[in-house]
Amino acid sequence: MIPPLVTRDWARQLLDYETAVGATSMPVESAGACVYEKLRRSLCELAGVAGFHSLASRALMLATSNTPSLSAVQIAADGSLQGLNDAEPPADNHHVREGDVVLIAQLLKLLLIFIGQSLTLSLVRDVWPDIAIDDTIPGTGEKHERAR
Amino acid sequence: MSAQDKVQIRKLPTGVPGLDEIMGGGLPEFSFNIIAGAPGCGKTTLAHQFVFANATPERPALYFTVLGESAIKMLRYQQQYTFFDPTKLPNSIRFINLSQTVLEKDLGAVLDEITKEVENTSPSVVVVDSFRTMLRKPHNSLNEMGVQSFIQRLALFLASWQATTFLIGEYAEDELRDNPIFTVADGLFWLRQTEERNSVVRKLQIVKLRGQASVPGLHTFRITNNGLQAFSRTFGLSGQKRRGPSKRRLSIGIPELDKMLNGGIPEGDSVLITGASGTGKSVLATQFIAEGIRQGEPGIVAVFEERPQAYTDRADSFGMDLQSAQEEGKLLILYLRPLDLSVDETMNEILDAVNRIGAKRLVIDSLAGFEMALSPGFREDFRESLYRMIFALTGIGVTILSTVEVDESFTAFPFSTYSISFLTDDIIRLRYVSIEAQLRKILVIIKMRGGDHSKDIREYEITSERGLVLGKRLKNYQRLITGLPEQLRPFGEGEEVGYDWVAKDKV
Repeated sequence: MIPPLVTRDWARQLLDYETAVGATSMPVESAGACVYEKLRRSLCELAGVAGFHSLASRALMLATSNTPSLSAVQIAADGSLQGLNDAEPPADNHHVREGDVVLIAQLLKLLLIFIGQSLTLSLVRDVWPDIAIDDTIPGTGEKHERAR
Repeated sequence: MSAQDKVQIRKLPTGVPGLDEIMGGGLPEFSFNIIAGAPGCGKTTLAHQFVFANATPERPALYFTVLGESAIKMLRYQQQYTFFDPTKLPNSIRFINLSQTVLEKDLGAVLDEITKEVENTSPSVVVVDSFRTMLRKPHNSLNEMGVQSFIQRLALFLASWQATTFLIGEYAEDELRDNPIFTVADGLFWLRQTEERNSVVRKLQIVKLRGQASVPGLHTFRITNNGLQAFSRTFGLSGQKRRGPSKRRLSIGIPELDKMLNGGIPEGDSVLITGASGTGKSVLATQFIAEGIRQGEPGIVAVFEERPQAYTDRADSFGMDLQSAQEEGKLLILYLRPLDLSVDETMNEILDAVNRIGAKRLVIDSLAGFEMALSPGFREDFRESLYRMIFALTGIGVTILSTVEVDESFTAFPFSTYSISFLTDDIIRLRYVSIEAQLRKILVIIKMRGGDHSKDIREYEITSERGLVLGKRLKNYQRLITGLPEQLRPFGEGEEVGYDWVAKDKV
C-alpha cells in the first residue's frame, strides 16, 4: 500500500534533515534508522513499548508490500529496528533511500489515521523542533485538511 | 487564629461545567484525588477536562497511562471532545506510558519513574490512569500495608512538588469502606451510571473533599461532545440569598381574573393551572406570558408536548404575537425533550435562559409532559425534584405558572394527579360542567397563599379573539364543582342563564 503524498513529504523532510545532519558528522547509521529511532523513543513514551511495537509492525508490513527490499527488516521486542541498513544498498550522504521513505511514511500515516494530523504533527515537531514541517498540499499552498 | 492567618487554598477550575459549584468553588490546589467508578462512566474524560483546563507550558500536566486503554486510542477518542486542544500536546500536556515498568518491575520502580518525570517537569497536574490496574498486579506479594505505604509516599511526593493529582480507578461501591487508598485521598469523586428500563442515568458524588464544603448528594451529569456537564442538586444557586416576599402583583393578562386574584399573581409565586384536556390551560399560560412581555417583563416558556413553532402559531391564532417577542429577545421558548432528561438538566437550561434574558415569568407547559421527558429513575423523584426547582426559581424572583392535566371526573374535584399542590402558592382550577345540555367551562381559584382571593365560581369561554374570557358567576346553581350542577330555581323572564361575552365583558 503506497502511503499518501502528505506522509511521504513529511518522511522525506525528516530524512533529508537527518541526512544533512549525518553529512556533517560521521554517519554510523542510515537517516532512516535515525528517524525511526527518534520516533520510537517518543512514541514509546506515549504508547508504551508494546503499543509502539504494534504500530511499527503494522507500518513495516505495509511498507514491505510496496518495497520488497524491506522484507529483511525486523522489529525487535523493544520496538527497535533490525536490518534496515542491510535492506538496501547504502545511499550516499546526500540521498535518502526509497525504503526509508516508505517505512517512515507508513508509520506517520498510521499516526495520521489514529490520532489525526494535528497531534501527529505536534509529536513530530516535538522531536524535530528545528524542522518547519511543510503541511501544505504540494503545488497549491493550501494546508492539508485537519483531522478534526 | 484569625481568618487572615489561615492558609488560602486556591481552587482550580475543573473544566467541567457545573462541577466547580458542586465542589464549593473548584478543586483544592495540590490535593490528591481519586476518580472512581465502573468502566465507561466518564472517569478519563473528567480527568482530561481538568488537565486541559489547567495545564500550561510553564506548569504542564503529566498524564501517566498504565495498562488500560491504549494511549493512541485514548487520544483518538478524546480529541473528539470540544475541550481537547491538540496544540496543548506535548508542551502543556505530556502522556507517558508506564505499562512496561508496571509489567516488568515493582511499585518502587513505578514510583521512581513517576518521581523522575515529575522532578524533570515540575507539573501542576499529575494523572495516573488507571491506578487500579497498577495495584492489581501482585507486586512481589505486596500486602495491604505495602500498597498503603506506596500510596502515601506517592501522595506526599506529589503534594511536595505542588502537583494536583488524580488517580483513576475502576472501583465497585462495596470497596469504598475499607480500601486504604480512600483514606489517603483528599478528594474522592464517585461516578455512577445505572440502567433503568431502557435508559441510562449518570450521577456523580463527591464522597470526600478535604478543606472545603461540597454540595452533598448525587448530582446528575451528562456526557456530550463537550465532555462532562454536571448539574448540581442546588442548581448552582447555593449561597445565593432568597429574595424576600414581594408585594407586587403581576397581571395574568385577564383583568377579570386579576380582580379575582386580588390584583394579580404575587410576584415570585408558583401558580398551578389545573384542568382537563381542552379546558384552556395553555391559552391561560400564554396570556400570562404575553401580558408579561407587554409590560416589559421577559418570559420563558418550557414546552414538552409541542414544538416552539407550533406554540407560537397557536398563540398567534389567539391574537398573541410571540414571534416578535422571540425575535426581540424578550421571550425564549425552550423545547426540552432529550432522552432521559433529568430535572437538574431542565433546571440548568431554564436558569441559563433566565439569566440570558432576565426573565421574570416562566411557564412550564406541562408538568405531565415534563414528567414524561424524564428518565424513569428521575420520575420517581419528580415531586422532590420539582420542589427543589420551584423553590430555587421563585427564590430568585421568577414567577412560575405551571399547567397540569387532570382526569375530568364528574364525581370528584382533583386539583392535580401529582399531589403537588403543596408545591404551589396559588391554584386555579378549570373544569367542564354540564349545563342546559351544553358542555361549559368554569374557573375557580382554589388557593392563594398570599392572601384573599375571590371565592366565585365563574364561567368562561375560550375565544379566538381574546383567549380565555371570564363570564359571570353562576349563582343559580349548586354542586358546580361536581361537573353536574343542579339549578336552584327556575330562571325568571329575562334572567340570564349564562352570560353575554361581548356585551358584558369589558376585558
